[in-house]
Amino acid sequence: MPGHHSPKYKILEHTADLKIKAFGKEKPELFRNAMLGMQQALRPKIKDEKAETKIRIESENIESLLFDFLSEINYLNETNFEIYHEIVFNEFSETKIEAEIFGKKVKRFGLQIKGVTFHDLSIKKEKDNLWEATILFDI
Amino acid sequence: MLAKKDLKKVNNFLWEIQKSFRNDMKVPARIYVSEKIIEQIFRDKSLSQLVNVTTLPGIVKYALAMPDMHEGYGFPIGGVAATKIPEGVISPGGIGFDQNCGVRLLRSQFQEKEVKPYLDKIATEMKKEIPSGLGEGRVIKLSISQINEILEGGVPYLVKKGYGVEQDIENCEEKGKMEKADSSFVSEKAKNRGRNQVGTLGSGNHFLEIQKVEQIFDEKIAQTFELFEDQVVVMIHTGSRGLGHQNCTDYLRITMNAIGKYGIKLPDRELVAVPFNSQEGQRFFKAMSAACNFAWANRHMIAYYTKKAWSQALQKEVNLSLLYDVAHNIAKVEDHLVDNKMEKLLVHRKGATRAFPPEHPDIPQVYKKTGQPVLIPGSMGTASYILSGTSESAEAWHTVCHGAGRTMSRREATRRISGTEVVRKLAEKGIIVKCRSQRGIAEEAPLAYKNIDDVIEVVHNAGLAKKVARLIPLAVIKGE
Repeated sequence: MPGHHSPKYKILEHTADLKIKAFGKEKPELFRNAMLGMQQALRPKIKDEKAETKIRIESENIESLLFDFLSEINYLNETNFEIYHEIVFNEFSETKIEAEIFGKKVKRFGLQIKGVTFHDLSIKKEKDNLWEATILFDI
Repeated sequence: MLAKKDLKKVNNFLWEIQKSFRNDMKVPARIYVSEKIIEQIFRDKSLSQLVNVTTLPGIVKYALAMPDMHEGYGFPIGGVAATKIPEGVISPGGIGFDQNCGVRLLRSQFQEKEVKPYLDKIATEMKKEIPSGLGEGRVIKLSISQINEILEGGVPYLVKKGYGVEQDIENCEEKGKMEKADSSFVSEKAKNRGRNQVGTLGSGNHFLEIQKVEQIFDEKIAQTFELFEDQVVVMIHTGSRGLGHQNCTDYLRITMNAIGKYGIKLPDRELVAVPFNSQEGQRFFKAMSAACNFAWANRHMIAYYTKKAWSQALQKEVNLSLLYDVAHNIAKVEDHLVDNKMEKLLVHRKGATRAFPPEHPDIPQVYKKTGQPVLIPGSMGTASYILSGTSESAEAWHTVCHGAGRTMSRREATRRISGTEVVRKLAEKGIIVKCRSQRGIAEEAPLAYKNIDDVIEVVHNAGLAKKVARLIPLAVIKGE
């Protein structure tokens, strides 16, 4: 089965910043895995306290949607001291997301992401029918 | 990828990619580099990124790269572009997410031997007083209206509130306050991110260092800078924290949605730019100016807490005076000579430092004869430099590099060396390290950077700035 044994995401090489390649059978899974890759990069020390919140994002196209989605997660990470490991999409289209995100409160982060960039940002379907997204974060 | 054959040597420290290299180039690209370190610039995509910068509408003369250049996003780090006002553009990517990331240097009156027995204690107190902001530590949560005061008032507002002295205003680039700052163009989200981050260090390559003046190259200028051999000083390297980062994110989106309206086409989305005089351009400039004020306020408060830490450790009132504070991620309106005519330009400096010459109207009176003090931090645990601005740097819009420049990814660095090993190596050199994570230390290992001495040689020999003093670290305090 394509995608069954493939990783959720990979951290790629970049001189100064953080580059992540995420995979998914469908776009919602791709977005979820991009979020998970980003969450892992923050190296959080987790508290045993649950966190959940709702998000609603509207953008002009799928790439901007990914940028806005990850930027929103980063904002919530930093201002709420929370990390998210699950997402339930109530609505997902090329231009809109409504979802609930679930995770834990955080004692401290080992890294701060300054921002998501549009640099070489891509979302494409590969030969094995798997969606791939490459995102560069400024850290 | 570009190769050495694509570069034409202008002189021993300056190379050029001619306008004919790619048909969308509006001006040539110029790189300040020496034969010794030129090979390093072909290792990543930084040269193609510099060529992309030459396509910005309204760019004047050339796109420039400093000798510490490396791959960024949109602009290379170490990239400089001046655009003509009013028709030229402003590009959020030409400033970066960390708006007004920069460096300040505090002078003590102590020689190394006087402080040495207390060094560990001072470093411990500094770590305690200046949190990273990524976890526990001193947390002061400001209200949105206090944030607005800082965004518009910068350092002078804090001095008026009783933090610091007049000299902290005078000896800060822009006197610690961009006049055009307007907090109403900064989003609530950005303000929220900044509420508990004033006086915090952040992560990545940000650091505090206790250093000593190891060598003086220019006695006369050093005297004006009140520097002497063996003197202990403190260097602070950080920026506008989450507030600036969010501000950049917000305006990347705003400018991206507006770019079509102005018919601007660029080879990389991250270069997105709008005319400086457009509504979006003006709003971004005013919002960025506000975030820059926040960054100066942040470094100012870190200096305030540093003095407190020193006074606690030494059990007496310690005065640490501000030599200077420089921004190295910023865009500013400046007057420069273009083909013998004075023009108003918007100078983007991304990972590059302004270095105004002697007699320039915008530098403190006390430095009028010497030129502006220029602060160039090395990588963690290696040497740093103090230089002074020169008139020869006019052709580079009075700009120099901002550091040593990475040559290796963070992952590669962690594969090659462990945090424990880095700390041990620094300890062998007598350097105390206070850190919160071993991983962060490994990522910033000196082996991941160019040799700062090689970079400064280019700056000095190209005439971009003049060496005044070399500093070496005694203690390093890392954010995360």
